[in-house]
This record gives sequence, structure tokens and C-alpha cells, in this order.
Amino acid sequence: MNVSIVPALRVLKPAALICAALLVGVVVGYWANAAFLPGTAPEQPIAFSHKVHAADNEIPCQYCHTQADNSISAGVPSVAKCVGCHNEVSTERPQIRRLLDYWNNQEPIPWIKVHDLPDFVHFTHKRHVLADIECQTCHGPVETMDRIQLTSRAMGGGVQHSSWQMGLCLDCHKQHEVENGLDCWTCHK
Amino acid sequence: MPHIDRREFLKLVGAGSVGAGAGFVLRESIKHPTEYLIPHVVAPEDYSTGVATWYNSVCSMCAAGCGISVRIREGRAKKIEGNPSHPVNQGRLCALGQSGLHALYNPDRLTGPMQQTAVRGSGAFEQITWEEGLSKVAGRLDLLTAAGRGNRVCLLSQGVRGHLAQLFEQFMGQMGSERLLYYDFDHPHTLYAANQRFFGEQYLPYYDLKNSRFLLSFGADFLGGWISPVHHSLGYGDSRQGRPYVRGRFIQIEPRMSLSGAAADEWIAARPGTEGFLALGLAHHIVSGGLYRGTDRDSWEAVLADYTVDETAARTGVAAETITSLAESFFNTSHSLAIGAGNHTNGTDTLVAVNALNYLAGNLGRVGGVIFNPAPAAGTVSHRHQASYRTMLDLAEDARQGNIEVLIINGTNPVFNLPLAAAFREALEKIPLIVSLSSFMDETTALADVVLPSHTYLESWGDDFPEPGVGFTTGAVSQPVVTPLYNTRATGDIILGLAQQSGLGDAIPWASMEERLKEGWRRIYERSDPDTGMDGFEEFWMSVVRAGVWGETTRRALGFTLDPAVIDSIGMQPPEFSGSGDDYPFILHPYLSTTLHDGRAANLPWMQELPDPLTSVVYGSWVEINPATARQMNLTEGDLVDIESPHGQIRAPVFVFPAIMPDVVAMPIGQGHSEYGRYAKDRGANPIQILGPQLEPYTGGLATSATRVKIVATGRRVELVKTGGNTRELGRNIVPTAAATTSGGYNAQLNSIPIKVIST
Repeated sequence: MNVSIVPALRVLKPAALICAALLVGVVVGYWANAAFLPGTAPEQPIAFSHKVHAADNEIPCQYCHTQADNSISAGVPSVAKCVGCHNEVSTERPQIRRLLDYWNNQEPIPWIKVHDLPDFVHFTHKRHVLADIECQTCHGPVETMDRIQLTSRAMGGGVQHSSWQMGLCLDCHKQHEVENGLDCWTCHK
Repeated sequence: MPHIDRREFLKLVGAGSVGAGAGFVLRESIKHPTEYLIPHVVAPEDYSTGVATWYNSVCSMCAAGCGISVRIREGRAKKIEGNPSHPVNQGRLCALGQSGLHALYNPDRLTGPMQQTAVRGSGAFEQITWEEGLSKVAGRLDLLTAAGRGNRVCLLSQGVRGHLAQLFEQFMGQMGSERLLYYDFDHPHTLYAANQRFFGEQYLPYYDLKNSRFLLSFGADFLGGWISPVHHSLGYGDSRQGRPYVRGRFIQIEPRMSLSGAAADEWIAARPGTEGFLALGLAHHIVSGGLYRGTDRDSWEAVLADYTVDETAARTGVAAETITSLAESFFNTSHSLAIGAGNHTNGTDTLVAVNALNYLAGNLGRVGGVIFNPAPAAGTVSHRHQASYRTMLDLAEDARQGNIEVLIINGTNPVFNLPLAAAFREALEKIPLIVSLSSFMDETTALADVVLPSHTYLESWGDDFPEPGVGFTTGAVSQPVVTPLYNTRATGDIILGLAQQSGLGDAIPWASMEERLKEGWRRIYERSDPDTGMDGFEEFWMSVVRAGVWGETTRRALGFTLDPAVIDSIGMQPPEFSGSGDDYPFILHPYLSTTLHDGRAANLPWMQELPDPLTSVVYGSWVEINPATARQMNLTEGDLVDIESPHGQIRAPVFVFPAIMPDVVAMPIGQGHSEYGRYAKDRGANPIQILGPQLEPYTGGLATSATRVKIVATGRRVELVKTGGNTRELGRNIVPTAAATTSGGYNAQLNSIPIKVIST
């Protein structure tokens, strides 16, 4: 007696097609989210432009990020620091008015964090800055950005859709032959 | 191309859409949640974000007075370590000291002043302002002082030293009250009394463990909770391993193996309360055996005549040959040292006997023995005001008579730390106004009418002059290392506030504790060596605050002369116990928990979670029973038993513990809180509750090991939470071992149990 699975498959075909459509849908939906809502350049409470400050007016990074060479974190300038200049400079622009509103209310500006490492990574700005690593190496061409966004030179300067990966650290550590640079506990401690 | 009909097409489009939606949501859900970078409005001047600053201060978790360095980041305390410059702890710190962070950040801290709104103990409190709270109390104080009844005010505090103690004295003195009392359960009353009697010293001496070559400890758990654990641990370590070619010998005598006993070369179990007899037996052999050749030999021989080796062996259960060999090696080793803890009704006599042993072996006033401390540079020694059990009974009686109208409680918890037999809780009911300055809702604070919560020590100014000292004059300033978390105030500032509001402001004029402290230290500066190279007081003050410690190298001259009259006062009375041996066959040996101390640390999760070093039990109480006894009573680990004394009963699971005498049961102190926050409440049992009111006659202190109990099985079982699987090595040869030396008597009974002693 010949046994064929064809009849059984024929019954399954519509279900298989539906599954395939569902799967394609998932991929498309995921991609669409990633392409159109990457979340790597969120709208900030004040439309602060690094381009205007760092490129047009040539303010060095560490003028505002004062702690980059002595702390693990580069430091976000205090509201007072912003107001230090903007008491005099461009006080009538709408974005500066927003800044002055925060200052008058003595409230901090809730900047949205773009450059973030997981909590299990111990990264220190101090060591990297003191080793003369340029800020742009990790943060991308910040001086060209009107709105800060997550980029990576490792990705050809383009938008990187995920956050930083370990390969970025390791490539650089290898390239510079960092002492203990490939040990786990250098970063994970 | 397969044929797709309309229905099929719609199905596929539907499936695709659902899929697309699911994919979209999927990515949305795995995105990082939005994080914010919140800047300062105005950058603080004293720190950079991400950079740690270390501030020196003083630990207040127990009475030892260690120096601490606290790591601060972004204005928050992150880690507490020992201050390397402080002579007491020399950079080390015990687990209790490190868990000070859990006191600071404890979720059950009192966050502001409150008053009781319903009956006492109901837990119904309402928030009030500081002004309301202070004026409510100050009004009452003012009335009493004006009427000349200031003595009806009692300030009952934990032991404090330094300028806070002076402030307390000034405050109470101005009010005309003599009722300034400190109550600490673990205060060594008998040690002070014995030293006063034998040496004529009112301060504790410095026990130079570091340079000793033979340490004989009569029940002093100096590695666990005895007076200054970190310093003595350091000295012990140096004695054992700090010198080339010399390893100090160490023998511990106690009925239940403590942490120190476990570290000893030899552990000897003398019958509970006979430690003093053993000391005198050793002394007898030293004198009558012809070892001691001092001019006062005849007086010693006379006073020790009854304490012959055979008599001592019969009384203590320690074999005669052990006594003679101990006496000989104690006498013949240069730099020997005997220490002890007197927890029985003959505690003072026991410690006098220990001192006598030190005298005969020539250990007094010499390096490697007992070195006498200079008087503290400022403030008072807390012992002067320490309330013995008898004093607390008097206080309770006064309260019952209506002679106490205001009770101010600071940091001590007598409702928990006194036996039920004292009926202290009931006495409190009769006091019209109870004020608590505690940072936590402990059992005593729960009965308060007004709660004026103090800062933790990490938030307040203070200073300390360690007791026992380290052989030379030393002191330390305790600075606030963080901004206060809540609406609390420093104890000193509360007292100053009360003084100002109750019309004592002229005599107590300081605006803050910091000011009071600086004035006190200005006096120390003026008295101190002018050649310190300091340019004025401000520089001196800043350097002391920054270093966290100050000291002068002046020591007292070595040597010791005995007042011959002391010799005649030497003698031992047999220990007395609460409860008859027939009804209550076991002697209860409550001991200070290595982790929870006297119960004050029960609200600290780290301390609850830290395994007890000998049993590895966490988060609970247990009662230690000898394996032979347990076998006889058909008990195994985890069996719930009632521990009954003539004065009460508590319930705890059995822990079968090989290193305890068969007729002794032991329980750690610290658990059994009915208040004191979520981590402490309703956990384990409090053995202090059932202690009999046995007094040590010279000090009036509670003889904590003088209660007999019986053990009644309940038939129920619980699983003991512990980290160790087995107390035995099980032939795994993990450590090189030698068989324990045993000494006959009770120890012979232990002989059947293969205890292994680690020998390194």
C-alpha cells in the first residue's frame, strides 16, 4: 500500500501560508520600528545644538564637560553654567528663554540620555581622555549635530541602531595595545 | 502561482498585519527605557560627579570607638572602612561597623518628630514640627525646674563619651537632676569594679595582647563582642603571626566555645561560674609551688590556702595536672597575660582573681601585659553614669512611686535589653512624659509620648575618647559625612534646643553641637604641646577633623605597686543561680551575637544575613545543645523547644553544638524584637527576657549567665536557615588537624565527640 503525505500537506498549506505571512509581518514591523523610530536621537527638553556651540563658536568640549579628565563621568554642565553665558548671549531666542525658565524656577533640565552603557560595564572618561582618545572616537562627530545622536565611527559614522557593543571597546583596546585591555575585569568589575 | 481566493487573501493580509504589529511592539519593548541626565542647578563646590571623597569620622555602632573613613560619592555615603591612622582599629573595621550604612539608609528610620496620639504602644503617631515637639517637652522641663523638682527628670542614654557626655552633665546639672543614666546591656561593670579594687584605676587598662606570649582568657570573647573587638583582634593577630619565630600561645576557658575559643590552642570548659576558682587554683600553685618569690609571698600563701589544686580540680571539673601545667607555663612564660569576663554572681571576684594571677606572674604595668591608661583628654568615661541592673530596678521603682515625671531616652532600648523580671515596661506606664531621641522605632520608643529623632552618627558632629584606651592619650572628632537624609537633628542639638527653650540657655549658651565641640577642642588645643607646628586653633581643628584622630604620645610610667590590703580581699564565692537544679537542669549561657551585638544591629539586613561564625545560622535564633544531651532528650537540629526559666519562657530551634558543656545551653542575644523595623520585628527569641534577676553584689550588675532553664520539646520542627551543611570535616582533610586536648571532668564527656582543632 502506498502511503502519501501529500494529502496531509495539502490540508496544512493554508496554515503554513498564514504562518509565513505572520513571520514576514514581524520582520517588517520590527524593521519599520528600527528604521523610523530608532530612538538614537531623541527630542531633548531644549533643542541644544552641539554644532552651534562646538563648531560654529569653537567651544572646547571640556569647557562644559568639565570632569571628563578627572572623573568616570564627563559631567553634564549645571544650569548655572549655561546661564553663565546666556545671561548675556542670545537671550531673546525661544530656546534660551526655555533655559532661563528652568533657571528662574531653579529646576534642572531633564536631558534624555543618549550615550549609555549597561550598568555592568565600568567605563571611565578620565583614563580615555588622559590617553588622548578624542571624544569623537566614541561619540561620533558631535560638532556636526544639531541634535545629539548615537553614532559610532566603527559603523562608518552612520547611525548605529543598537547601543555600543563590546567589539567597539575591544577593537580599540587591541589597536592601541592597552595594558590588560582584553581582561574581563578591566571593564566588568 | 497557487490559487488564492478572496478569503485566503484576507487571511494572509490579516496575519501579515498582526505580525507587523507584533514586530513593532517587540522592538519597542526591548528598547532601553528612557534614562535622564539630570544636571545640578548650581554645581556643588565640594565634589565632582563620579569622583569619590573620603571623610574621616568615628564609628558608633558599638562602644569601642573605632575610627572610620567613609567613601562619599555625589554627596552619598557608599562604603565605610577603618581609618588607618586611628590607633584603636588601625584601618580595620568589623562587619557591624561596615553595616553602619544600613543604619543610615534604613527604610524604617524615623523621619521627623512625632507624638503619640492614642494609648502608648498602639503605634499611633502623628507628625509634628520640631518647634511643637521641643516646646512640648521644654514646657514640662521648665515647670519642673522652676518648682525645684528637676530631679524628677531622668535622661537615660546609651553610653556616650566626650563632649556630648559633658553636655548631658551640664544639662542635667542645670536642671538639678542627678538622674543622668547610661544603660548598655554589654557594659562590663565587673571589669571596672575589679580593676578599681585591685589597681585603684577608674579607667579600663590596655590589654597588650600584641606583645603577649601566653594569653589566658577566662571567658572573654575578645574576638567576638568583648569591649573592643577590632583592636583585640589586631593584637591577637600580631601575637600569633606578627613576630618572627614567636607564636603567642592562647588558651580559652569557657563553658561554650566562642569565636575566641574556636581560635584558641586549647579550649577548656570549667564549670560555669568557677572560672575565678580556677584562676585562684593557678595562683595557689604559683605561690605554693615555689614559683612566686615576691616579698608578699606569705600573705598570698595565706589568702590562697583554701584554693589547693585538688580542691580547684574538684570544683571546676578541670583536671589537676592541667591546672598545674597551666600555672607553670603561665608563670614561666615571659609576657603572659590573663583576661576575663565576669558574667556570674561572683563576677568581680573572678576578675580580681584574674588580676591576681597577672600580678603574681608579673604582668602588671609592663609590655605584653596590662598597661594602665592615662585619663581621657576631655569628657567623661561613660562608666561613671552607667546604670547597673540594680540602678535600673531603682529607677523602675521610682517611676512606680511617681517620682519620675519626664524620661528622656537616647539610643538605649531598656525594654528589650532588660529581663521581664525587671518589669521595666510596666514601670514606664507610670511616667507622665516619655521622650525618645532614637533614630528607630524600637521597643522603648514605641512607648514614648514624644519622639524627637536623632541623626545617625554619619550625619552628626561628635567626638570620642576611646575606652578602653590604647595606652596613650587619644581622641577623635566625628564629623557629619553626609547631609542629613531626613528631618532629624543631632542628639546634642536636641539637648541644646531643650535647654534654650526651658530657660537654661544662659548656662548652656551654645547654638549648636558643632560650636560646643569646637570650644571643647579649643581647650584641648590650649593644653596640648605647643610645638605641634600648628598655626592657631583653626588649623589644629581642621587637621584633627581631616585626620579623624588626635593623640599625644605621652604614656604613663610602666610598673605597678600593689596595695597590700588588696590581697586580703581576694576570695571566691560559689556562683548562685536563678532556679533550682532539680527543676531547671541546664544553665543558660546567653552570649553577645557576633553579628547583632546586644540586639542593636537586628534592624540591619547585612547583619541579619551574615552567618554566625560558629553555627553559620542566619536570620533567626537558635539554642545550642551538646550532642550527648540532645541524644538523651531525643532532639535533633531544627526541633522547636521551649526554654523555660523561673521567669519566663521563649521558643527556639535546637542547634546541636559539639563545643558546649552537656549541662549548659547557649543562645545568642539580639533577636526577638517586637518592634525595631521590618528586618528585626518578629524574628527569633530574646534570651534576655527570661534571665533571672541575679545580681553581682559589688556592682549591682546583672549576672547574665546565672539563670537555670529547662528544655521542653514542642514536637514541632523548623528548618534552620544556615549556610554551612555540616559542622564536621567528614574526612575530607580540608585542614590539617590535631586532636583537641581535653582535661578530664566535663571535658572527658566531650571526649567521645571528635572535635577537631585547627592548628596552623
